Amino acid sequence: MSAAETDAADTPAPTRAWYLRLMRDPSALVAALFLLAVCVVAVAAPVLSPHDPFASSRSVMVPPVWAETGSWTHPLGTDGQGRDILSRIFWGTRLTLVIGLVSVGIGGFLGSLLGLLAAFRPGLDPWVMRLVDVMLSFPAILLGLALVAVLGPGAGPVIVALAIATVPDCARIARSIAVSVMNQEYIEAGRALGLPARQLFLRYLLRNCVSSIMIFISLRFGQVILIGAALSFLGLGARPPTAELGMMAAQGRDFLLFAPHIAVIPSVMIFLIVLTANVLGDALRDVLDPRLRS
Amino acid sequence: MKTKALTLAALLLGTSLAQAQEITIVREVDSNNYDPHKTTSRAASEVLFMLGDTLVSLAPDMQTIEPGIAESWEVSEDGTTYTFQLRDDVAFCDGKPMTADDVVYSMNRWTDPETKSPVAWRAGEVESVTATGPHTVEYKLKAPFSELLYQLTQSFGTIVDQANVEALGDDFGVSGFNGTGPFCWVEWTPRDKMIVERHEAYTWGAPFHENTGPASMQRVTWQIVPEENTRTVAVLTGQSQISQYVPYIALEQLKSAPNVEVVQSDLAFWTYFMGFKIDKDTVSDPAVRRAINLAVDQEAMAEDLFFGVVQPAYSYVSTEALDWNSDLDAQLLGYDPEQANALLDEAGWTRGDDGVREKDGVRLAPTAYVFAGSTWGKISEAVQAYLREIGVDLQIQAFDATVAWGKLATQEFDMFGMSYPYVSSGDALNLYFRSQNMPTPNRMNWNDARTDELLLAGSTAITDEERADSYGQVLEIVHEAAVWLPLYHEPMVIAQSTDLETVVPHNIYGAGLYKGLDLKFRD
Repeated sequence: MSAAETDAADTPAPTRAWYLRLMRDPSALVAALFLLAVCVVAVAAPVLSPHDPFASSRSVMVPPVWAETGSWTHPLGTDGQGRDILSRIFWGTRLTLVIGLVSVGIGGFLGSLLGLLAAFRPGLDPWVMRLVDVMLSFPAILLGLALVAVLGPGAGPVIVALAIATVPDCARIARSIAVSVMNQEYIEAGRALGLPARQLFLRYLLRNCVSSIMIFISLRFGQVILIGAALSFLGLGARPPTAELGMMAAQGRDFLLFAPHIAVIPSVMIFLIVLTANVLGDALRDVLDPRLRS
Repeated sequence: MKTKALTLAALLLGTSLAQAQEITIVREVDSNNYDPHKTTSRAASEVLFMLGDTLVSLAPDMQTIEPGIAESWEVSEDGTTYTFQLRDDVAFCDGKPMTADDVVYSMNRWTDPETKSPVAWRAGEVESVTATGPHTVEYKLKAPFSELLYQLTQSFGTIVDQANVEALGDDFGVSGFNGTGPFCWVEWTPRDKMIVERHEAYTWGAPFHENTGPASMQRVTWQIVPEENTRTVAVLTGQSQISQYVPYIALEQLKSAPNVEVVQSDLAFWTYFMGFKIDKDTVSDPAVRRAINLAVDQEAMAEDLFFGVVQPAYSYVSTEALDWNSDLDAQLLGYDPEQANALLDEAGWTRGDDGVREKDGVRLAPTAYVFAGSTWGKISEAVQAYLREIGVDLQIQAFDATVAWGKLATQEFDMFGMSYPYVSSGDALNLYFRSQNMPTPNRMNWNDARTDELLLAGSTAITDEERADSYGQVLEIVHEAAVWLPLYHEPMVIAQSTDLETVVPHNIYGAGLYKGLDLKFRD
């Protein structure tokens, strides 16, 4: 308990109200609310879906409700197999978010660990950075293709590929921040006090780098969702009948000239998620980055 | 000055006329090569029919055998010796006259075990092929083969040039092909385009063609366009004058376009089906296979996914095909999900918590291998949705065409998606149900001595009744065992520019334009 209290006392005062300052930015507020809504929809997909997202029906290619022949039975219409697009959007968003969050989480964790270690133990630095260079020379899409060839298509290989693709970028960012932190006087002071390496790493280094890394990860999230959707679009991601936004867009391609809503609706959803994730990431940086704090 | 202008005008007119005699045909996939004995792809047949000739030809009614390189032929009474009288005016693209020796070489190369031709069986069990005169060929069989003449119309029986085969070696059908067809090889860029040019000396087209040669088109370009919307647009905008690879969804739009005409022929024997590997735990129980057949609504699929252009299939070959056993019509498995569920309950397959059936530790979740792409994507997902209703959890694995054929030769899957062309029931049954055709194309592992016996009896039958009776029994056996899930019969649909004379679609091996002799711009 006492450790937690000291931690709180250590935190510099202005970061405490970071979320309040974030909310003052109207675009960030809208983005945050939208993402919150998306998360709620994703979590509650089984409850919210008006239809079974995997059950096909005889009413195929029904247009959305705003079209002349649309109806409220299928507010966003149905796809080429007669499945309700709204329900599939809910389920697809769920999977897309899971893919994005898990891969960014794993990749971000491993990447920042590598970067921080490289800065903390200069002996490791050349090894870690050469490894990162090797990983950076491999495009995520190519990596995804190779993994799917080995593991077979599915959401799992996509998550692994995206996580691996996130590691090198994150390691570089974390290292560059950590190196500058390592030069700070309080690190010297900690050393002089004879703090064990573990404490120095966790309490001094990590805590001073974490906000900058979080900014990077939040910006990376949008990118990862985009690459994940691209992999699914290429048929490497989720397997049918699972719904995934990129895959839904790919399946709608055949109907583009006749029933454009099948491809357009999931594409718009991807666009909105990525856009709001980026806007929010930007706003987070404005609020959290000490260098931008005036 | 005036003469100069006139010459210029004439020149311009001349070039524009010459340009006008060129067409581009768009299609979905390319072939791995254009050696008639080394590929089974439809893409190869389409081009080979134009580049080469066969001994006999098949009329557009898909029944009548007409002359080709052979102007007449005789069959001995025991059905084992065919004597072909060849035309004496046939020449290869390089100008060399074609003789009986070329035919003998072609047939021997086709059946030679060293060629390793996947289609050697189509030539029958050959005893010998010999030239008994400069333009006479004797084709001797070990046993009668009632389908021989039909098989000889296929592109696999194309006459090749020995000197050309030997000169090109492994590149035969890749870097060049010297044939006797109405068009000659110009250039092939794999997965992009194949260009062929008119064979000026060609005069030996089969009698059912309006034009027996030379061809009206000077140059034909087969262009690969994998994306179906792009092909539709190419036909609508005149970038391509003709194509049989137009998506059904676009047919209404194409029909209403003033510059496009759509022609259709239902005399097509091209059937889509999913086969069961019958020795796999999941589908070894005939009750499961019957239930799956009962669970799928082919009629709804034909209407909703293919806009009513295709015919729902309940039989493994078209009921219009030669030697179809009409006694089976009443026994075919229609759409009845309730009966399907009852059948599975009765057989002891009980539903688990997730709704998927199980029996003796076997989860009813068969894996199906299909081709990647929109057609099989749609079909397999629709089937998957129907099977969910009866507690079968179909796992779909789609592979690109380049790896799919290899994957489909393995024992890894429980079900597979396939479509195939045939000329008759016998053709289809011999291809898929002979035990020596395991593991491919008999991917079902259908190993039944009675079937083999009847197939042999059918193919060596001398009378039509005998043949129909033998094949009819095989049809009954395999339908009874529900070895396949038939899906639909595909008609031949060709979208063409109204600048062209209306073509007569031909269905030989699904190659809608056949020799390309009647491709002609309207005057």
